[in-house]
Amino acid sequence: MPSELLNGLRLLDLTDEKGALAGKIFADLGAEVIKIEPPDGCSTRRIPPYLDDVRDPEHCLYSLAYHAGKKSVTANLANADARELVANLAAHADFLVESHSVGYLESIGLGFETLARSNPRLIYTSITPFGDTGPGKAYNWADIVTWAAGGAMYLMGDEGKPPLQMSLPQAGLHAGAEAAVASLLAHYPRQIDGLGNRIVVNMQACIVWTLMNEQAMPLLHGNHLSRTGVFVGSADARRKMVYECRDGFISTLIAGGPTVGGSTRALIEWMGERGPVPEWMRIKDWLAWVPGVFMKLTEQDHKEIAELEATIQRFFITMTKREIYAEGLKRRIFLAPVANAADIAADDQLKARDFWVTVPHDTLGRSLTFPGPFAKMSATPIGSTTRGPRIGEHNDEIYRGLLGLSPDRMATLHASGAI
Amino acid sequence: MSRQFALEGIHVLDFAWVGVGPITTKYLADNGADVIRVESAARPDVLRIGPPWKDAQPGINRSQFFASFNTSKKGITLDLGKPKARELVKRLVPWADIIVESFTPKAMRNWGLDYENLRALRPDLIMLSTCMQGQTGPNALYPGFGQLMAALSGFYHISGYGPGSCAPPYGAYSDFIAPRFSACALLAALDYRRRTGKGQYIDMSQYEAAMQNLAPALIDYFAGGRVLGPRANASDRYAPHGAYRCADEDGSERWIAIAVAGDENWRAMLRVLGANSTDARFATLSDRIENAAALDEFVGSLTRKHSAQELTVGLQAAGIAAYPVQNCVDLHQDDNLESFDFWHWLDHKEMGASPYEGLSHRMSRMPGALRSPAPILGQDNDEVFREMLSLGAEEIEQLKKENVIF
Repeated sequence: MPSELLNGLRLLDLTDEKGALAGKIFADLGAEVIKIEPPDGCSTRRIPPYLDDVRDPEHCLYSLAYHAGKKSVTANLANADARELVANLAAHADFLVESHSVGYLESIGLGFETLARSNPRLIYTSITPFGDTGPGKAYNWADIVTWAAGGAMYLMGDEGKPPLQMSLPQAGLHAGAEAAVASLLAHYPRQIDGLGNRIVVNMQACIVWTLMNEQAMPLLHGNHLSRTGVFVGSADARRKMVYECRDGFISTLIAGGPTVGGSTRALIEWMGERGPVPEWMRIKDWLAWVPGVFMKLTEQDHKEIAELEATIQRFFITMTKREIYAEGLKRRIFLAPVANAADIAADDQLKARDFWVTVPHDTLGRSLTFPGPFAKMSATPIGSTTRGPRIGEHNDEIYRGLLGLSPDRMATLHASGAI
Repeated sequence: MSRQFALEGIHVLDFAWVGVGPITTKYLADNGADVIRVESAARPDVLRIGPPWKDAQPGINRSQFFASFNTSKKGITLDLGKPKARELVKRLVPWADIIVESFTPKAMRNWGLDYENLRALRPDLIMLSTCMQGQTGPNALYPGFGQLMAALSGFYHISGYGPGSCAPPYGAYSDFIAPRFSACALLAALDYRRRTGKGQYIDMSQYEAAMQNLAPALIDYFAGGRVLGPRANASDRYAPHGAYRCADEDGSERWIAIAVAGDENWRAMLRVLGANSTDARFATLSDRIENAAALDEFVGSLTRKHSAQELTVGLQAAGIAAYPVQNCVDLHQDDNLESFDFWHWLDHKEMGASPYEGLSHRMSRMPGALRSPAPILGQDNDEVFREMLSLGAEEIEQLKKENVIF
């Protein structure tokens, strides 16, 4: 059952991987989300990798993940009849989210101005890689390019090696989520005055927003950071953030002060119970220890940090991720395993919260396990509990049921390649 | 009725701190909601002492890190450890449509400020609690911050040059995933309340929100046991795909990100680079994907002579996705961000003119705005306690003496 939360609202999803998450969020919240895709399927159905390496649209993992809970109709936008269908759907919709090239939908008569004439309530959100006005408005796009343009790539990777992207591209996901927020922001006043809105999301800006305000560093500190692998902080104060353990890596950070100092002390106590640690480490008042990762450090600070980091490294290498995390939890130490999918799947916390959702997938003849909802809502539980649609699976339901097309008209549209 | 901002008239009492909670309420504040941040001078938001600082000098009102996440909000200071402070909070609750908090789960409960207690004062209250791992479960009290959550939720493991390498994303990455989800939950809850008159409680685990950005890899693992790992910039769709070294500028290394989809793009790229290739390893897309290491070396040798900026223009004109790998100095000079009017300089009470990130979207009607710089600590005590709660000047003085207002 879809959530009651946005029950009765309808969103047309004309996005590709620049924004598929927007419609997924709306589907999770209970809206009816209709994906409009070309008759041969959206490009998001051809993104590797594939389930069991079966290279067909039904096995595309991206599509399985981000189309769950949606419906699908086909429309060949090069065809005038199909464009008319989309315009008619927009007259019945509350939201439209799209990520075509800037100006494309306008050029084929599906721009905001046109659609708003028959539906002034429509909230129309365009996702753009670089905005809709600047020199890059028509730029060619790939996720890695926005990751670079937004400043995230420069900060990721080892010195002396190329800057990095994550193995699962992220930029389009941020833009999709931003499109969902913006659409819902515009929805609130619409309930009062009945008027829609035109929204442009800028993906590059979405990535700048992941930089933890590093943007202001050059202007306020007169320098900027560059990638430093597993270290964090400015060049003369940087500190190790990732340590090797027996079966992978552990993340932790030596720090003092009232919030984290107790954790550093607890880690030293733990190490002391298992073997010798230098006397100064045990007696130091870590709650009063101030050197931050962006401060000027003394020779003494550098020496102490180096010795403590080496001690921690020698300690962690003797244990597994799971052992270290379990004990860290007990002792309230600020640390985390560098978890992979297997670790996450086995995690007790997620299981205890019934996070994972099993979704029957009749097309594939099996059930799949999905990440559950992004929040637990007391009055209106959210989350998608149905598989994503096959290409055009809901043509009849939507075109005949909603728009009232006759079987003859449907046949004609099929024959002309419109749907 | 004419409105300037989308959320005018919505009242938010904000107990959140650090990243996720404040960024969530910033969406509301920048769009016209009245957001009052409740802070404690005894234990200020750790971001208040986080860099970057004005003139690189730390100070409780000098952090742009804090400022950036707290535009358009008011700030009051209360020591919630004191019963009198909690009484004042309870007098503000009937005013609030939304309450947001991001402490570890036991804090609000211990103060008697949990949802059950607060909704007695405001029956249609919408309350969001956001913390690392959610309000329930064995690890609910997990102490952490975003860097650790980014490791725990799988992002560090897919970051690196190959098996055995780890080169994580910058900063508290997951802190920048969760706010968009929590803002959606709050805005949808507002709509539901409008239709039904019912408020509700939202338990947001930042861990579970982060998982949304890894869904394909998790589905894959559960179905077939495959574990996605670090693989540098390798792609199954594009080759070349990665960051390539360009000509140095002012003694600093410069890189360009390039993604080449098919054979036509590949030939166009070679033309722009003034190069030729008859290498059989690079003949087709699947050849190039298979021989990505050799390909990267070859492409890197070609880009090395070019300016990243100029090459971007040339490649883009030839139909290829490319952009310089920008640092934070570049971001402030970026024509596309400027054209979107992304950067804003606001005059902060103590920091003076400071650089703020703007909104990542633009609305044509009732656009949001950075309505004011972040509050300095306790900035709005007088307004809130005198005007909203009708406390007398003497009463306020007394509460300050007792460190209730603090």
